[in-house]
Amino acid sequence: MTRLITRQKLIQWAPFLVLVVLMLVFTAINPAFFSLRNFGRIAISSTPALMVAIGVTFIIIMGSIDLSMEGTISVCAVVFGYLFLQWGGTLFSSAWIAIPVTLLLGAFLGLLNGAVHVLLRIPSFMASLAMGFVGTGLAVMMTSGEKIFVKDDAFRSLVTLRYFGFPVMVYLALLALLIAWLIQSYTTLGRNFYAVGGGEELAHASGLNVKRVRITGFVLAGVFYALAALFAVGKIGIAESITGANFMFISITSVVVGGVALWGGTGGVLNSLVGVLIVNVIDNGMVVIGLPDYVQDGILGVLVVTAVVLSTDRRMISVVK
Amino acid sequence: MDFQRLKPHLPWITLLILVAIVGTADDTFLKPANLLNLMGDIVPLFIMALGLTFAIYIGGIDLSAQSMANLITVVATIYLGSLGGWVALLCVAVGAGLGTLSGYITTKLMVPSFISTLATGGIAISLSQYLSGQRALNMDAAQRDAVFGWMIAKTGPVPHELFIAAVLLAIALFVERRTTLGRVLKAVGAGEPAARASGIDVARYKILAFAISGGLAAIAGLIFSVKLSGGAPAIANGFLLPAIVAVLVGGTPLTGGVGGVLNTAIGTMIVAVIRTSMLYFDIEATAQQMVFGLVLIVAIAVTIDRAKLRTVK
Amino acid sequence: MYQLSKVDKKFPGVHALKAVDFEVGRGEIVGLVGENGAGKSTLMKVIYGAYQPDGGQILMDGKSMRFANPRAAMEQGIGMVFQEQSLIANLTVMENIYLGYEQQFVRFGVINWKAMAEAARMQLAKVKLDIDPGRITSTLSFAQRQLVELAKVLTLEERVQGDLVILLDEPTSVLDEDEVKLLFKLVRELTSRASFIFVSHRMDEVMDLSDRIYVMKDGAVVDMVKRGEASVEAIQHKMVGRVVDKRYYREQRQVPYDASKVLAEMKDVKLPGRVAQIDLKLHAGEVLCLVGTEGSGREAILRTLYGMLTPLAGTVTLKGRTVTRFSPRGSVEAGMGYVPRERKVEGIVAGMNVHENMTLSQMGRHSTAGVFRIGGEKALARDWIARLSIKASSETADCGTLSGGNQQKVVLAKWRSGGSDILLLDHPTRGLDIGAKEDVYEMIRDMTDDGVGIILVADTLEEAIGLSHTIIVVKDGAIQKRFDCATGAKPSLFDLIHYMI
Repeated sequence: MTRLITRQKLIQWAPFLVLVVLMLVFTAINPAFFSLRNFGRIAISSTPALMVAIGVTFIIIMGSIDLSMEGTISVCAVVFGYLFLQWGGTLFSSAWIAIPVTLLLGAFLGLLNGAVHVLLRIPSFMASLAMGFVGTGLAVMMTSGEKIFVKDDAFRSLVTLRYFGFPVMVYLALLALLIAWLIQSYTTLGRNFYAVGGGEELAHASGLNVKRVRITGFVLAGVFYALAALFAVGKIGIAESITGANFMFISITSVVVGGVALWGGTGGVLNSLVGVLIVNVIDNGMVVIGLPDYVQDGILGVLVVTAVVLSTDRRMISVVK
Repeated sequence: MDFQRLKPHLPWITLLILVAIVGTADDTFLKPANLLNLMGDIVPLFIMALGLTFAIYIGGIDLSAQSMANLITVVATIYLGSLGGWVALLCVAVGAGLGTLSGYITTKLMVPSFISTLATGGIAISLSQYLSGQRALNMDAAQRDAVFGWMIAKTGPVPHELFIAAVLLAIALFVERRTTLGRVLKAVGAGEPAARASGIDVARYKILAFAISGGLAAIAGLIFSVKLSGGAPAIANGFLLPAIVAVLVGGTPLTGGVGGVLNTAIGTMIVAVIRTSMLYFDIEATAQQMVFGLVLIVAIAVTIDRAKLRTVK
Repeated sequence: MYQLSKVDKKFPGVHALKAVDFEVGRGEIVGLVGENGAGKSTLMKVIYGAYQPDGGQILMDGKSMRFANPRAAMEQGIGMVFQEQSLIANLTVMENIYLGYEQQFVRFGVINWKAMAEAARMQLAKVKLDIDPGRITSTLSFAQRQLVELAKVLTLEERVQGDLVILLDEPTSVLDEDEVKLLFKLVRELTSRASFIFVSHRMDEVMDLSDRIYVMKDGAVVDMVKRGEASVEAIQHKMVGRVVDKRYYREQRQVPYDASKVLAEMKDVKLPGRVAQIDLKLHAGEVLCLVGTEGSGREAILRTLYGMLTPLAGTVTLKGRTVTRFSPRGSVEAGMGYVPRERKVEGIVAGMNVHENMTLSQMGRHSTAGVFRIGGEKALARDWIARLSIKASSETADCGTLSGGNQQKVVLAKWRSGGSDILLLDHPTRGLDIGAKEDVYEMIRDMTDDGVGIILVADTLEEAIGLSHTIIVVKDGAIQKRFDCATGAKPSLFDLIHYMI
């Protein structure tokens, strides 16, 4: 019993400690790491990834997994790009409507994803992987590989306009994080994610509509993926079929490294924040201390395995496939 | 009940129907020369799918296959010069080695295979970028032809890749049907607890399944790089989806235990026919991924054995 | 107030409840006792709505009811306190209490945690538990969790008009003596608000708490006794009393075992999960039966011998060699075989055919360099199909399609054909019809004639007595008593049950 508690405590605080240690190490090697300018860089690269990580956190808390984010983000980015240009091309025209429409689209894609998983009774990793393929395919089809340039200054002020050294989108992302945290801590839906992740059958026996909770979770995740798409487009001013590329591996690694157990029921969006920061600090630090950026995928691989192993209570599981 | 009876026969019925549809729409399709070319082209995909079959047959998945093939194209291109024909051995060793790593992480560290293979895939990506210096590499044409030219040559109208595919299929079929390894893998897929309770060291065999998957992905990568006479860290991207589709439409469900390598041969042919039919019916090439994604969902939904899933997570 | 009238429940091959009459009065505590498999759990499931009866009626205040699911039963005031902890460990206490009913605390989409905590505190006060409702459930002791479960069920009081009926399924199994006393005191006080149905295998507790006791046997209520009207012994006799034909268990074929040849031995073995001080010896030709209630530690002993569990202390010796690395593989190599209780999960592989199943544990014997000699394999399977008269269309029939009895024969053939001479049988006759059972008994005698040693966890006590040379009674993880069961000098059911509960 006491061992379980210390284990939980450890898992709770270890990610944060790792983050601090990493920052100290990088600063020691190259003091330039510890500068507002560099932190701004880390914050910008973390922003879209944080949105994706928040979305998938809800899913992982339920004990499911979502691998569809790359497709959803690409579709949202491309559709946003087209609509934004179509409807005026600047935030000061009716083109701003493209933003809520994109969020709705994200919700809809999440709904489809959740429906395929829950109603067709397909394990989530495969249902969402397939839906991700469909999404990426759709984005490729819509663009035929073309790039859509979103050059509107007002929209780009997401990244160009800075307060205290950090661009606007960082603050927006923190606002989104706050909302996510409120959902997680203060709504029935948020708490039900934990109930499903902690014991699906027990939750069902208590009269919870588990299917509805699951599907709603995927819808919510979809909205956050759409947010990620907006930030990603804002960041570089381009929407294309590969806007979503690489987000899957990074976000899942971040969430797990942040201390959200893959088996569900524990952790939360704040863990994911820490996880995203760890991954991006490593990424940034590598460059700052002069290591090539191609080691990133390998490091992510090692990180994710380590995190899963550490968070797994082996007495609880028998068959792993 | 009737559907359950029909299920094992669905793959080849689907194949026949598709062939009939495309054949009537386009009369060049059924010409032997065309069919042979078609099948020759799909051999690297088939070999990757063949490997994946082993991972899926035991109820797991191998998401690293594509990255593995990418890595191998780079390895093959770089070391062809110094190793000559032996580079093939190196490729298979690297593939099997990384596969073993996936298997070890899955069975001994209890990390679900979709994560462990994703992680191994990440390592493969890093390796391939490191080795290639993030550039596309070319093989020395003369040396390629000297060492591996036979792979892509033809005997009469028959591409040699088909022989390679046939030999690998025969070996895989033999392993599946006649060896203790195949028997255990079936038992693990159909009922792992019973296999364990029979005193079998299940983990060892599962690791072996992932190693085979990695080894075959490597062979796929090798043939691919010989075909293209080069390698690059993203050259085989786009392989994973059709490879998974091939296994599943062939009738090996995600839950494992039934189906097998022969099914994957049929599944690969279905994939090939769908691809060609899209050309004939004027569907844009850019739509391909979406179509295969949808086919994948249907295939999983039809084949999966829900009785084996206590809760669907 | 609450009444079951002539309730019947049938499953394929089993008549689980036979015209059961059952009644609970307002504010009454009713005990329910019976051996394993007597039908208690089926009856409970009918009461709390998990099963629907095939015949008879459920009446509440004379009105006929039908519950589609547990939630429907709850809406009528019938709540269940589960034996296995049914609280979700990662949630707080209050969240568990109001799981599925959070809506009452939500204002503008936001949960008012204070209001929920307040309400939860009131529920906890009903069970006299003074803890912070915001505590994570996994940090509570078992006793506290048990009380939270009770508090959760008691929320029905506010939600439901009319009477409450609360089922307590083995609520004392994880509690110590003082905690049990507290719980009983609480239950007695709560009778002002609810009626209770109390199920336990601890006879003294049932006698202590219940106003009336229903005794079940073979799916029927065999007696109902009021408080103080019967002794523990009398009730125990009713639970087991039946006349058994000795020939059924092939007692005439029982011959003394070879005491000079020890096949397996456990010395001072201690296991995780409160099993300690296990000493036993299995001889060639002996049937050694482990007897005890569910969870007494019988399974753990079997699984340790088979290498699936590693003991914390003590030694296990197989045929004179001390086991150092515990694994099923090692045990199988030492000549051991295991017939698991979950036949369809661990016994056979459905989807594989008869010969594949039979050779699963002995592949090395039928292969050369990893390649099977399938002809030989099939011949072996055909031979055993004939020897055990297994009803299968051929050796290539899918084992998943065979009947339970024939599946069991395949499992037994798997071990016998591989030459195993230590067999662990866990409920080998569970779910089999009488003919198939007799076949299994016959096979057990055949095997002991060949010098095989068998450790058996039997489906019923009669079976244990009828089949065994030796009976070891296990209770709460320790050996209570060893009985010698030579033919003609077998212990009675009552002798055993006395040490079991």
